[in-house]
Amino acid sequence: MRFPRLVFFTLLLMMTAVLAQQPPAKQSGVLRLRVRVKADDSAPLRGLARKRFFLIPGTLEQNRALIDAIERQALVSRDCYYQKIGASAALIGWLRESDCESVYCRGVEQEFVSGPKAVPEFAVAYAASQKEFGNDETARQWLTTNLAPDVRDGFYRSRQTVLEALLKQGGPQVHSVMTDRNGTAYFTDLGPGTYVLSNLIPTELGQTFVTWNCEVQVKPGDLATEKPYLVSNRKDRNVKCVGVEKPKPVCATD
Amino acid sequence: MKKKISTDKIIRLHLCLSVALFLPVDYTKFQHSTQKHQAACNTCHKIPTKNATTFPDIKDYPDHDACVSCHRPQFFKGARPVICSVCHSKTSPRDEARYTFRNPASKLQFTIEFPHDRHQDVIAMFRFSHAQQSYYNCTVCHSSRTATFKAAPENHSSCFNCHWKAQQPVATNCNGCHKLATPYVPATDPTRISIKYVHEGGGEKKQHVAECTTCHINITKAASLKGLKPDVPITACTECHNKDGLRQDLNTELRALDTNRNFTCVYCHAPNVGNLDPPASHNLIAERPPLKRKDIK
Repeated sequence: MRFPRLVFFTLLLMMTAVLAQQPPAKQSGVLRLRVRVKADDSAPLRGLARKRFFLIPGTLEQNRALIDAIERQALVSRDCYYQKIGASAALIGWLRESDCESVYCRGVEQEFVSGPKAVPEFAVAYAASQKEFGNDETARQWLTTNLAPDVRDGFYRSRQTVLEALLKQGGPQVHSVMTDRNGTAYFTDLGPGTYVLSNLIPTELGQTFVTWNCEVQVKPGDLATEKPYLVSNRKDRNVKCVGVEKPKPVCATD
Repeated sequence: MKKKISTDKIIRLHLCLSVALFLPVDYTKFQHSTQKHQAACNTCHKIPTKNATTFPDIKDYPDHDACVSCHRPQFFKGARPVICSVCHSKTSPRDEARYTFRNPASKLQFTIEFPHDRHQDVIAMFRFSHAQQSYYNCTVCHSSRTATFKAAPENHSSCFNCHWKAQQPVATNCNGCHKLATPYVPATDPTRISIKYVHEGGGEKKQHVAECTTCHINITKAASLKGLKPDVPITACTECHNKDGLRQDLNTELRALDTNRNFTCVYCHAPNVGNLDPPASHNLIAERPPLKRKDIK
């Protein structure tokens, strides 16, 4: 009778020890990102709008292979891509005007379909849409459905292919957010630990490509109310992560 | 060794099979989940439908031949075949009246798959056609439903303008967005905590009219609609509503609560929320210790 009682108390003791070692309920943190950049030395600092940033678990050292892959990328700029596929100067200008990676990023106004500011690719697609839909307004609004795939979003898709390969290397726990018009974004529900903040694909900024790869510590209970994590391409005492700039390569001519 | 099945179990099995086999099929309800209804969508749904006038769309039920090919006996059963009531508001051979497509009274059989993150990448750029704010992004799909809430898309107009024929999922690939689910009744009104917030408000200068992702901070990472919440942190409000020299709306109400545990926070909330304990985030932003109503003397 004595033996089972001993076993029972031993088990009880072990369970108590295990429960005592269990960490308290996991507290998540928030990283408030603020990206402020200068296109060149004479330009004012401005928020980098609508750019995607990633938070990869681990230290820079632990993510060395990924960072090497990011830095090794032979990137083609948007202008070079569109020049290569034979896009018109008007289309290249239209995309550049709003920093667009594809034709989806802004509405195609009537002035870009006909008249002196018309983009030839849009004019052709508009004519095809008029024929297909029999309605001028639908034809304009649905114009992208009659654009060639490369013109429509070939550049965006090529970037996505690169991005997907890098993300695969980064593992399944990569967080991602996009900055708003002021260059602010929030990474939420972060487990405490070390992360690498990266844009994975260099950002075109004026005549340069900028890459950010910095180590970030997230503590439990970090809140969005705290000071933002400032990111820039210029050094400053408040800037926590300074991007590495490389000049954009000259477009290859056929 | 063979396992012996008890007589009781055999009887129960027989009963279940009998019910399954002899229970009459309810032809008043069409289920996409029925195995024979799971052919390619365009077997029955032809796009565009004849009644789509403003843009090519699917706005009507399939033609009779989609049903008759299998359901001839049910189609010609009596003067008022019940199967007609799936689409027709009157079951009579002389009446063609149909319910609105889709019938709002019936349960939804599909959920929508929509990755906000991808769409943010490609469409939610500053646009220059917005009347005053010189940007235009989420409003491509979310127009104003009321002064308080934005609407979710109710038709294909904001999908087909890009996904009509070339960009997948295209209009004929229904399954690209519509995923078969257990039939459900959708919520008519979204749950809102700060019911008094007005998207178009913010004083004379309409300062609430900001870029949507400035407040809805998790939208750009949302790959699915599953579990998607509006996710507006209190900091989005207190940047203006609890700032020295501007306004002290949060502090004022928390101070009122200090002296009256039954105080209802009304500046942002309706009583159902305003009578609850203020969440930790509210106290934290106001640099106050956590507060429970029951602890107030």
